[in-house]
Amino acid sequence: MTGGTGPALQAGRAVRAEWTKLRTLPSTAWLLLALAAVTVAVGAAVTGAVDTSHCVTPAGCREDTPKLALSGVRLGQVAAVVLGVVAVGGEYATGTISVTLAAVPRRWAVLAAKAAVVAGAVAVAGTAGVLGSLAAGRGILSGNGFTAANGYPPLSPLDGPTARAAAGTVLYLVLVALLALGAGTALRDQAGAVTAVLGALWLVPLVAGMVGDDAWRDRLDKYAPMSAGLAVQATRELDRLPIGPWAGLGVLAAYAAAALLAGAAVLAARDA
Amino acid sequence: MTAPAPPAPPSYRSTVAGEARDGFGRLLLAEWTKLRTVPRWTLTLLAAVVLMVAVAMLSASDSGSSGPEEKRSPTAQLQIIDLGHYTYLPLAGDGSVVARVTSQDGGGAWAKAGLMIRGSAERGAPYAALAVTPGHGVRMLTGYRRDGAGGGTATAPQWLRLTRAGAAVTGYASADGRAWRRVGSVRVDGLRGRALAGMFVAAPDEVEVRRVFGGEIISGKPGDTTATFDNVAVSPPAPDAAWLDRGGPGGPAADPALDGSTRSGGTFTLKGTGDIGPDEFAPDVTKATLAGAMIGQAAIVALAVLFMTAEYRRGTLRTTFAASPRRGRVLAAKAVVVGLASLAAGLVAAFASVLLARPLLESGGIAPPPVSDPAVLRAVVGTAALLAVLAVFALAVAVIVRRSAVAIAAVLLVLLVPEITATGLPVAAARWVERVTPAAGFAIQQTVTRYDAAIGPWAGLGVLCAYTAAALAAAAWLLRRRDA
Repeated sequence: MTGGTGPALQAGRAVRAEWTKLRTLPSTAWLLLALAAVTVAVGAAVTGAVDTSHCVTPAGCREDTPKLALSGVRLGQVAAVVLGVVAVGGEYATGTISVTLAAVPRRWAVLAAKAAVVAGAVAVAGTAGVLGSLAAGRGILSGNGFTAANGYPPLSPLDGPTARAAAGTVLYLVLVALLALGAGTALRDQAGAVTAVLGALWLVPLVAGMVGDDAWRDRLDKYAPMSAGLAVQATRELDRLPIGPWAGLGVLAAYAAAALLAGAAVLAARDA
Repeated sequence: MTAPAPPAPPSYRSTVAGEARDGFGRLLLAEWTKLRTVPRWTLTLLAAVVLMVAVAMLSASDSGSSGPEEKRSPTAQLQIIDLGHYTYLPLAGDGSVVARVTSQDGGGAWAKAGLMIRGSAERGAPYAALAVTPGHGVRMLTGYRRDGAGGGTATAPQWLRLTRAGAAVTGYASADGRAWRRVGSVRVDGLRGRALAGMFVAAPDEVEVRRVFGGEIISGKPGDTTATFDNVAVSPPAPDAAWLDRGGPGGPAADPALDGSTRSGGTFTLKGTGDIGPDEFAPDVTKATLAGAMIGQAAIVALAVLFMTAEYRRGTLRTTFAASPRRGRVLAAKAVVVGLASLAAGLVAAFASVLLARPLLESGGIAPPPVSDPAVLRAVVGTAALLAVLAVFALAVAVIVRRSAVAIAAVLLVLLVPEITATGLPVAAARWVERVTPAAGFAIQQTVTRYDAAIGPWAGLGVLCAYTAAALAAAAWLLRRRDA
């Protein structure tokens, strides 16, 4: 293929092609909607279930209200995982990957274009979910005793730590989708990739809970993708965290980068 | 096929059709062959087993390092509590004890005041007791179980009578001391020869929940209760025997205002703290050993989903339906095959987990209950059944969704919801989630009834089975309506 006058234009075309593919799949819209809706609904349900009745004093609970309101991403992220895996796995399942690679022979460019459109789509849906969660939390929390008088100012995405938690949560979702995209490219098998990524996110923290040894539990909390990445949601008692907020997100970013690199390597080395 | 073929023109009809359609057995064989001959799938089953056993070893080997130096008391090993206050006389053989509980104060709905015949004053000794409670009527209690025969709404004042004949103890209650009704009868293994008979009070721990740092700290605070008794009589009366007391374990924590007995004339006042019954805070060693099922289920779910979606993806489902047009039967055969394969893998994994974890636990100073224990056997076999039902559930969801990625994600989501949301959720809400989602099936792994038990073992498995039946029905309906 000789079309295009420069690498930038070619890259732009690859991104546009991937965006068309992603946009025109009905499942994409459903997954993005599920991402935002599950995040908001679960966040609101969890926030609604918590009140100050078991606190020594309402202020003594030291409840991390932004983290509580954003807890829906623990479940909502499943849509980002599926989207990331399906974005590439769907092409292998139907065989269109050969057509894609014929159109854009530089394989890393295909993966980069896919990563760009998946990240963009998840960032938009994730922002909607995060802002919706904060709005729902703002309405619910004051009714449950977490009032400004008790030391819990109303949630606002403009407040410093809350802004970090909110932006960090959107980044978390993007990184999870990229991790899934990398795993899907490396494994090529949708079922295997979804199981592997969800296992890494959801099951590793469970294993940490089953381990009795404190040193190992600490290590798992620090380096498990979900527990490390979600450290970015903490807004108070930061010294109690096993890993700092941005450092934790950095751990997840490292996993996502490793998965994408592995995916790129497999894509380059193997026949499609 | 059966009759010798006449030398007529050969039939154009396939000879396979008659054979392939002739029964469920052949369908099962066909599906089993499909499952068996994909190496990746057998490896997945193997991975489920290995994951479960590995988690069991991991949790068992670590539990020892937490504190091998402390010697666990006999009651702690039996996972029971034997506290409260007991005031007694010797009972040489058969006989009875009678008393009227005139008042009962404090300790909650399960506070107990009543009569007890027990083998000895040692903690953990066999006993039979008849007690009146503020909220659960008159109960016949034995074996350190939570509740027993009886019930109703009777409260103090209440006449109680306990009669022993050998190892059989029968309890009677009466409102007026004249018209007696039988509450229940129990056989107390280990009650022979000399025994003790008298009055007791006991009260279960109050569960205290304190929320801090976005989590909940749960602790048990011993409940205390007071009761008065009169018209106390032990027959046959032992010559020159004096009433003896067995109170709390003593030490600096003992508080005379909460534990003790006083007597004025024929009226006894007993005060006691702590319960006689199961330890609600006891660790469930067997459940912890089998917790690997939570991890291994991921492999089982993936396998069950692929068992269906692979046929959609490769189009082999059309061949399958051409060979066997009754689609419901194909689904049933698939469910039976994947369920039995998961059951077999689960049995291997669960028995291996319990047997291999035992020496590790013992070296850590923990005595796990034997596999022959009915509750442990239920948990072990139940874990295999749980995985089998999970597999059928995942298969049904796969038929409904038809996409492997979405089906696996959806099934793992509903099975892990309680675990994922548990951090930060109040205990009451977390228990509710554990009751209403398919994850309730994991309750079958319980071997002791703890304060945080969301649902009973069989009821929990029943919830999962109900979800599975509903999903299977929807799957069968959709399978018949939609093009393959």
